[in-house]
Amino acid sequence: MAAVRRHHGRVEVRLDVEERAGLLSIIETLSPHLGTAARTAPRAYDDPDLEDDYARLMRPEVEASRDADIEAVRDSLRGEGERRELDDAQALSWARALNHLRLVAGALLGIEADGWDDEIDPSLVESTEFTMLMALGWMQERIVQSLDA
Amino acid sequence: MPTQAPVEVPVESPVRRERSVRDFGWNVVVWNDPITLMSYVVLVLRRLFGYDEQTATKLMLQVHNEGRAVVASQPREQAEISVTRLHAFGLQATLARG
Repeated sequence: MAAVRRHHGRVEVRLDVEERAGLLSIIETLSPHLGTAARTAPRAYDDPDLEDDYARLMRPEVEASRDADIEAVRDSLRGEGERRELDDAQALSWARALNHLRLVAGALLGIEADGWDDEIDPSLVESTEFTMLMALGWMQERIVQSLDA
Repeated sequence: MPTQAPVEVPVESPVRRERSVRDFGWNVVVWNDPITLMSYVVLVLRRLFGYDEQTATKLMLQVHNEGRAVVASQPREQAEISVTRLHAFGLQATLARG
């Protein structure tokens, strides 16, 4: 069963072969929507000229960083064995990648406002995207806790 | 000697040049979104701006309860870098004049 903990100054992630395959499948399903799904290409400025400059000069940097984070997780998951030991930078990279993917899952579910998880719509629970959102959230929460520990 | 057609050279506008000299006190604003975990926002604010846990948590709660919070005031170039980093973490962030 998946486990994440602080161990000897690192973040230890344990995933069995099915969990690794499941997470890889989530990445393959959600990552094509990055940059087009709501909230995955945020604006920096209200001013259209300044925003144009930002989109031209800075957004490629953001996208490259995001893609590198996701690729790092993907590469790690393709490796053999249950156990991964992440240093601080690698664990942050995982946390960022999981957040980007959660934003996509939330957008595909049409979640627009807080409170969606207080009283969960039964139709959401049955969807694949909801399962993905919760699985990614479980892992991200534990990585954040382990980074803080 | 062959003559060449005049080449139009882009010139930085005075407005833009003046802006770069005068721009201090741009606010870095983080906006609420319904997906991002609260604990993650606290972590990002601590890591990017060096806030202690109490300050980062207070700012996160302001984002959550009021929809937005100014998390830093910086010269424009620095504020833009901060927003770029926040975007790389997947947070919703903008710059606004202070």
